[in-house]
Amino acid sequence: MTLTAAAAKALCRAVLAEASFGDVRVHVGSKQTGDLRFGASRPTTGGDVETLQISVTAQRDGRRATVTGNRTDAASLRALVARAETLAALAPVDPEASGPLGPTKPLRVAARDATVAAMTPQARADLVGEAIEVGKASGLEVSGHVQHRETADAFADRRGLSVFHVATELSMTCTCRTPDGTGSSKGGFISHARGAFSAKALATRVAEAALRSRNPEPIEAGRYTVVLMPDAVAELLDFLVERMDARAAGEGRSFFARAAGGTKIGETLFDPRVTLRSDPSDRGNPSSPLAEDGRPQARTTWIERGIVRTLHASRSYAELAGVPAVPVPNNIHMEGEANDLEALIAKVDRGLLVTRLWYNRMLDPKGIVATGLTRDGTFSIQGGKLGGPVKNLRYNDGPLTLLSRLVALGKPERAGMSTARVWVVPPMVVEGFHFESTSDAI
Amino acid sequence: MTTTRRGFLAAGTLASAALLVPRGVRGLPSEIRAPAPGAAGSPGLGALHEASPLPAHVALAQGALDRAKAAGASYADVRLVALTREHIEVRDRRVERVSQSDQIGLSVRVLVNGAWGFGATPQLIAAQVRKVTDRAVAGAKASAALARRVGAGPVELPRIAPVTANWATTHTLDPFSVGPAEKAALLLEAAAAVMGVAGVSHADARVTCVREDKLLLTSEGSRLHQIHLRVAPELTATAVDRRRGHFASRDHEAPPLAIGWEYLTDLDLVTAAVGVAQDALKKLHAPVVEPGQRHVILAPSNLYLTIHESIGHPTELDRAVGLEANFAGTSFLRVADTGVLQYANERVNVFADRTQPGGLATTGWDDEGVATSRWPLIEKGKFVGWQTTREQAGWIGETASHGCSYGHGYDGVQFQRMPNVSLQPGTEGYTTEDLINATDDGVYITGRGSWSIDQQRHNFQFGGQMFWRVKRGRIVSALRDVAYQANSLDFWRSCDMLGGASSYRLGGSMGDGKGEPQQMNAVSHGCPPARFRAAVVRTGGAK
Repeated sequence: MTLTAAAAKALCRAVLAEASFGDVRVHVGSKQTGDLRFGASRPTTGGDVETLQISVTAQRDGRRATVTGNRTDAASLRALVARAETLAALAPVDPEASGPLGPTKPLRVAARDATVAAMTPQARADLVGEAIEVGKASGLEVSGHVQHRETADAFADRRGLSVFHVATELSMTCTCRTPDGTGSSKGGFISHARGAFSAKALATRVAEAALRSRNPEPIEAGRYTVVLMPDAVAELLDFLVERMDARAAGEGRSFFARAAGGTKIGETLFDPRVTLRSDPSDRGNPSSPLAEDGRPQARTTWIERGIVRTLHASRSYAELAGVPAVPVPNNIHMEGEANDLEALIAKVDRGLLVTRLWYNRMLDPKGIVATGLTRDGTFSIQGGKLGGPVKNLRYNDGPLTLLSRLVALGKPERAGMSTARVWVVPPMVVEGFHFESTSDAI
Repeated sequence: MTTTRRGFLAAGTLASAALLVPRGVRGLPSEIRAPAPGAAGSPGLGALHEASPLPAHVALAQGALDRAKAAGASYADVRLVALTREHIEVRDRRVERVSQSDQIGLSVRVLVNGAWGFGATPQLIAAQVRKVTDRAVAGAKASAALARRVGAGPVELPRIAPVTANWATTHTLDPFSVGPAEKAALLLEAAAAVMGVAGVSHADARVTCVREDKLLLTSEGSRLHQIHLRVAPELTATAVDRRRGHFASRDHEAPPLAIGWEYLTDLDLVTAAVGVAQDALKKLHAPVVEPGQRHVILAPSNLYLTIHESIGHPTELDRAVGLEANFAGTSFLRVADTGVLQYANERVNVFADRTQPGGLATTGWDDEGVATSRWPLIEKGKFVGWQTTREQAGWIGETASHGCSYGHGYDGVQFQRMPNVSLQPGTEGYTTEDLINATDDGVYITGRGSWSIDQQRHNFQFGGQMFWRVKRGRIVSALRDVAYQANSLDFWRSCDMLGGASSYRLGGSMGDGKGEPQQMNAVSHGCPPARFRAAVVRTGGAK
């Protein structure tokens, strides 16, 4: 059980009542998580965990500090606020300090599903049991994770900010491996709602792919036309979203910086089919209307028909540079086309289908070049038809290739294994994606 | 321009690199007092234990143990944890962030009908602890029934003798006794020193201090109160060439350590800052690397992470048996490889060690009451040992755990986590310069860059902070956009030179992620500089 709106707001008020500074801000985050892991076709660890975070930021004359605690009794709250104010007084002056947010009107987002909120250890064990039984019936080793959580967040300050959001999330991932270690596949589901989710259907899909992935053929590294499934697209676009930072662009440390100074906002940088938006109030895939600092997450267009429209900015940089203070988005919706997967594969004469990417790390923040490996299902494509499995490959490439060497887009769908943001992105066909080497990993 | 080694030293580059190595963390540091029996740390009740909020809640913890036993638990443990983090961040000439976080709570782990259950709460009141305990028991029962349904056997734990003890990280000055203003002033001074170097555009300086205070009670009667201190300084210089649209960043190579604030006093960040800034400029204007198969000479500040990824993770037993297949991955090692597989060149000896002075994973006892120790993973190049918890010991026919159980915070369930894993120095007593002098065509790499490795730990690619072209025994120039790529076994078998004991240093990470939900672990890796063969690749700019 997380804090209700009334309880969370009361806690915020109790904190603010202890403030002696004019500028004190509070974030209360309450979370109830239930989970169960499974590995080698048996349940392993899991449990029911509740956490609470009370973060207090105090600021005066540009001196600012944030302290976080989790005790709710009056004495602890008083001590927390006192410590924030003491630390702030000790902190050096920040010449770029921003004032409190004050009242805001975030989007109203319905993201709490009563079925998810009420899940029990038995409900988790039932989902896991379905997955293990499907895998075992195919002679596969099954592992994975099921997790349900409810989160409640409230933000308030002494200028009148008072916002609250509650959400649920159910996620399940499942990996099937052949006992001889020659084949592996993974799939996942994530949503705010239980809906019609079936662990059995998920495991069946993963088990079939695992059986098809057995004994991958060696393959040469090099440039390939690739069909990237939505989770692979999300992994690569994540680097782009991080780098769409106004300060890095303004200071010349970014792909989005113009050589002569200023940013590339308004310039056509990508294929005209590329449109990236955020919308926390999306009905099927809602996300929090509140950013980590309490700012509202508004509907935002980042890239429109290949033209860069928006860069995100911290509040202090936004004030300094006179640009909009748009927070880093927690959801990305990318437009697609009507192609189903078969139609995408049919567009590829010689190439690869990539299910997901793993251990992705930035190599070159300026060129947004990353490295990582394919995992859990990499298949050849020959003459427009899906072929057999091939060895995993290490790529050294990045999102700019995706958005500029685009052949075709599929229908957008929720990337079920991607948890850091809500990703609703299409599978993509991209030319000349660069693989550096191959790996024996399965 | 070719620089002789002598000229190179005079130019101050290796000299500045030497400054980047903190004092007090050499192989056998005289500055760190003799370890207590079991591990490097201080026994007995010190000021840290006296100030701890945890002993006040022991009755609550005992109540949870009693309730779990009454509900049928064959084993239970309760952890009271107070995790305190302080983070100060400076950018250019201003303080960007001062933050402090305190998270206190209780977790209960139960073994009922041969299956685990777990519950955690920050509300340290009897009613809530009863509720959490009951949920943990319900979870264990549901998992036990599921295990039977899918034909899995029960979890079995080897018995251990109960112990009551206190332990704390060896330190001179509690990092939380130094005020944030003093810390910020030091960072501002270091950042100013970076900004004072012409051509450098940005400086980032950060320090994170952690106190992990935990009190473990087990149903077997153990009571262990341990307090860990960790300090992680960071300093980055960034140089921007706006005309060419290039920039280069250079990080200081000081590792996070289990230590007190004396670390920062000894480190002399401000003096080192100038070298860091000059290196950023060198890197900005350096030529890109010519790709190809060649020697790489890896400084400890770089090699530690390669050890972490290509030896630390593959030797985790839970990965090898498939328990982490869904996220972190499996391992190229199989149980049948134990004592058989030639992992590395025979000069390579690697020990797991939770007793190592300064090591981030150093502790007296693990999170299920097992006394920590040092044991070999690779002996004369041969793979000989695994990382284990109590539950896992029997899986490989061993009778006792190696003490690798760890849960992060009060809310993370214990599971197998990496101990400090360290490459032992060579017997020839070589220095870094000896390795360079012996190399005809290679790249000398220092510091941590980007890193990536596959889920079975075969294929890896690691970057670094500074890269130097080595030609006919000399350093000839700086390089940029370099990474080295190899297969783990090929790489370790190609190791043909190791630095001696005086060149041994600790590196480490506070962000070793594993598990679902992902938990963090802090771990160190000691090593000398060493030479290998690998594919050198070009990572940035035009491809």
